[in-house]
Amino acid sequence: MSIEVRGLRKSFGRTLAVDDLSFTVAPGRVTGFVGPNGAGKSTTMRMILGLDRPDAGTALVGGRPYRSLLRPLTEVGALLDASAIHPGRRAKDHLLWQAHSAGLPSRRVDEVLEQVGLSAVARKRAGGFSLGMRQRLGIAGALLGDPRVLMFDEPVNGLDPEGIVWIRELLRAQAARGRAILISSHLMGELEGTADHLIVIGRGRLVADAGVSELVSAASGDRVVVRTSQRSEAITVLANAGATVASTDRDTVTVGGMPGERITALLGAAGVPFSELKAHRASLEETYMELTRETVEYTGQDLTVGEVR
Amino acid sequence: MVMLLALRTEWTKFRTVRSSGWLLVGVAGLTVSLSTLTCLSFRVDSCLPEPGTTCDVDTTRLALIGVYLGQVAAVILGVLVAGSEYATAMMHASLTAVPRRAAVFVAKAWVVLIPVLAAGLPGVYGALLAAQAIQPGNGFTTANGYARLSLTDPLTVRAGFGTVLYLGLVALLGLGIAMAVRSTVTAISTVLTLLFGFPFLAMLVSEPRWKEWLTEYSPMSAGLAVQATRGLDTLPVGPWQGLGVLAAYAGAALLMGGAAFKLRDA
Amino acid sequence: MTGFLRLMRAEWTKLRSVRSTVVCLVFAVGLVALTAAIGGSGSTTDANSSGPPHADSVQFAFQSLDGDGSITARLVSQQETGPDAKAGLLLRTAVEQNSPYAAIMVTAGYGVRWQGNFAPDVAGTVGKAPRWLRLTRSGGTVTGFESPDGKAWAQVGSVTLPDAPRAVAVGMFVASPPTGLKNVRRGPGATESGPDWTVSTAVFDSVAVVTATGAPVDGAWQNIDTSGPLPELPDTEITGSFTRDGDRFTLTGAGNLGLLPYGYGADSDVVRDSFSGIYLSAIAIAVLSVLFITSEFSRGVIRITFAINPRRGRVLAAKAAVLGLVAFVTGVFSAVVAFLISQPLLRDNGFRPPAYPDYSLTDWVVVRAVLGTGLILALFALFALAMGTLLRRGAGAITLAIGVLVFPFIIGAFLSLEAESWLRRLTPMAGLAVQQTMRRLDDVITPGPGLAVLASYVVVALGLAYWQLRRRDP
Repeated sequence: MSIEVRGLRKSFGRTLAVDDLSFTVAPGRVTGFVGPNGAGKSTTMRMILGLDRPDAGTALVGGRPYRSLLRPLTEVGALLDASAIHPGRRAKDHLLWQAHSAGLPSRRVDEVLEQVGLSAVARKRAGGFSLGMRQRLGIAGALLGDPRVLMFDEPVNGLDPEGIVWIRELLRAQAARGRAILISSHLMGELEGTADHLIVIGRGRLVADAGVSELVSAASGDRVVVRTSQRSEAITVLANAGATVASTDRDTVTVGGMPGERITALLGAAGVPFSELKAHRASLEETYMELTRETVEYTGQDLTVGEVR
Repeated sequence: MVMLLALRTEWTKFRTVRSSGWLLVGVAGLTVSLSTLTCLSFRVDSCLPEPGTTCDVDTTRLALIGVYLGQVAAVILGVLVAGSEYATAMMHASLTAVPRRAAVFVAKAWVVLIPVLAAGLPGVYGALLAAQAIQPGNGFTTANGYARLSLTDPLTVRAGFGTVLYLGLVALLGLGIAMAVRSTVTAISTVLTLLFGFPFLAMLVSEPRWKEWLTEYSPMSAGLAVQATRGLDTLPVGPWQGLGVLAAYAGAALLMGGAAFKLRDA
Repeated sequence: MTGFLRLMRAEWTKLRSVRSTVVCLVFAVGLVALTAAIGGSGSTTDANSSGPPHADSVQFAFQSLDGDGSITARLVSQQETGPDAKAGLLLRTAVEQNSPYAAIMVTAGYGVRWQGNFAPDVAGTVGKAPRWLRLTRSGGTVTGFESPDGKAWAQVGSVTLPDAPRAVAVGMFVASPPTGLKNVRRGPGATESGPDWTVSTAVFDSVAVVTATGAPVDGAWQNIDTSGPLPELPDTEITGSFTRDGDRFTLTGAGNLGLLPYGYGADSDVVRDSFSGIYLSAIAIAVLSVLFITSEFSRGVIRITFAINPRRGRVLAAKAAVLGLVAFVTGVFSAVVAFLISQPLLRDNGFRPPAYPDYSLTDWVVVRAVLGTGLILALFALFALAMGTLLRRGAGAITLAIGVLVFPFIIGAFLSLEAESWLRRLTPMAGLAVQQTMRRLDDVITPGPGLAVLASYVVVALGLAYWQLRRRDP
């Protein structure tokens, strides 16, 4: 059971929110859906769920449009907005009406509350919940029907580190069961270790659609990280030799455009001590910044200080 | 000064919300429209006096009937100035910006009162002008015992001015109640019931004593007594006293709302 | 079908799990009860102090009959100003109003009737003019007969008049009761109502007054015009007339004769009035309905609802069904409470038999009014739901709902009578007609059509809401 999006387009007034978007979310892995704020992630998710009507294109779940699914909650579970709860309603009742309208037995409510760790506060009114608790409640709702497809819009927002770990485990477990998982975020760091595949969008358009390892190595390039106590000397030597050098830390230097052996030779010849030499692996954050640099809508002022190229 | 900052903040919030403008237009527009419609349909022979008496139609009061609709827009305005923030969670922002809740509350009251009064003036004036033009054509002439509606006649001035004040007071009533109940829907329905419920009950009872009591203590009926220019000695409550009754209601609502605002967590 | 019931169950869960629901329902019942208490305590009547309702104001053309005898005449034609227009023969022991009498007459709508001194009518054949009528007097007993041709006579009724003097007045009469209500505007917001009297014309011929021995009595015909200034509207003056053209006698007049049904004229429908708090209660129910839908929109819960059930029409239908049922039950309950509160109060204030019948909850008219009240409240709830669905924001929806439901009622008093009666027929408040327990002359619309008007508003509003719901993104 997968999600297939083809040529999706949607405008709100004069703003083009989603522009000719096509991708597939395959089962058995966690797909990260990333992009800057306002890139069109939430809109895309809503179109997949048949809530917003696309101007063009199709979004299919298991080869069929969402609205034609017989029992949607058992096929697709989604968390779109953690604060979509009536504050005066008890957590249990919030899940209970969902179960009723989906034709699921009431005991599922207790089961998912247990699963997300909210059993103790089942009878409390949602108005008193913290953001993290609300997220968990939303996740519980998505899990009610034990669906084959899961879509979470910014689920990590507001979770403490413990919560982030918990979610990662939950999603990986679901993926291992063969579910298709789509999880969106605008902070790449959260997806580190969770996502296997990335769909990157910017300004409504597809920027990248590939496995995490591919993207990371592409972003990493052939750069080498050198750990040295004499940074400025190292920079001088290597830069004079024609490499692009960036200093990221007090004691590390990232070198591009020069194979590792040559770096070793140069530094050795110049007498610059170094303790570590390894291939640079871009963080997901960096990967993402690289990919979306052109497409970020809202940038602050460029505040790079002391960067040497 | 904290008060000035609060005023600036509230005014900015007020004028950047689209519905504010429309509601102010509604205060004036609805008042003029209903007054015009009523004056067009009410002729001097629409009234049959009891034998032995004359049918002394209060032409000024007739002219100002539009306020029945205009006040709804004023009430909604007061409610929205209070309540819109809870709905969109802006309250946190304004409270951190202006720590003294009393100042915020007073600022809200001013931001409600002044624009409503400003919109009420053209509404009332327009209604009087329209009535002045229409009534003679419907038989309210000197031949039939009706002096032409004069905008300089002191009783008419009092009626018009009092009606503008009435609009301001019901808007404040809306503000106070909305701050107390924190839900726009509940506030609007509560205020409208308060205003229209008393006259409704008065229609149901047949005993004159009850009718009078219900009129005396009704915010709307008492408040609108200020519009009377005839039969002043037979009114259950005097013009300014009536407006005072409404002011008392508005004051009580503001006290409740202010207290709720100050004591409650945002 | 179980799918839809599931949806209803989900909507019911939503409704019952929020505190504002209970508050609204308590207010809904409370407001009706409060209004009933106020209305009941604050209304008095002295209808019973003036005796059982009856009328005796007719145009009477008569002669004096000394001793036993009879009067026979043929009613040639009768102007049918209404089903209760009466024309026929009358015998009175005295000419003053309310003195004992006996009459045989043709009513325009019900055929031949006999009245024996303010007792209930006895029916004769169902027919219209022309008709032969006869009254015979023997001592204190008067008997009425009718005939199609003047030869074959059938007795309709008989009565013994108390203390009948030798000389009585016998003759022809005509009466025409009001068929509508005349409203008079005393000023903006002040209206007075009274029956709208109409004048009917009756023509008699072959009139013969004879003594018991068969001797004709041919005295001078006098006539009494009792239809002078009529009670309710002092400025109304209806004059009748009596003319004789040889053998033909023409009488015109307004008025009525005999016992009147309860609540005749401008009397109060106390059962309906005790439920009038439904207006205020409708506001509380409208709040419930509007909040029910707009709270989902304002917080985005609606997306969850439609993600689980993409068929939005069914969701709206389920909400409507649940809300309608809740409102119906609340309305019925409120009406029962209001009835139980107001009836004892009203009884103490003079609203009791014989002028006002003693109703109980088991009487069909009361049951119908109670159920009707529930129905009205359910329809109001659905209208408010539609407004909430269309506008999606609470403030606008509640104002529109309250406005459309309640405003015409308030504004109507200030417009011309014509405009007001149209307003009451064409706006949702027409639905209140189902609460009527008696036919009042000033009701501008009857229960059936009134309910249809309200229902059509609801249908149109819900239809619009459904259409918009499917089109727009939630």
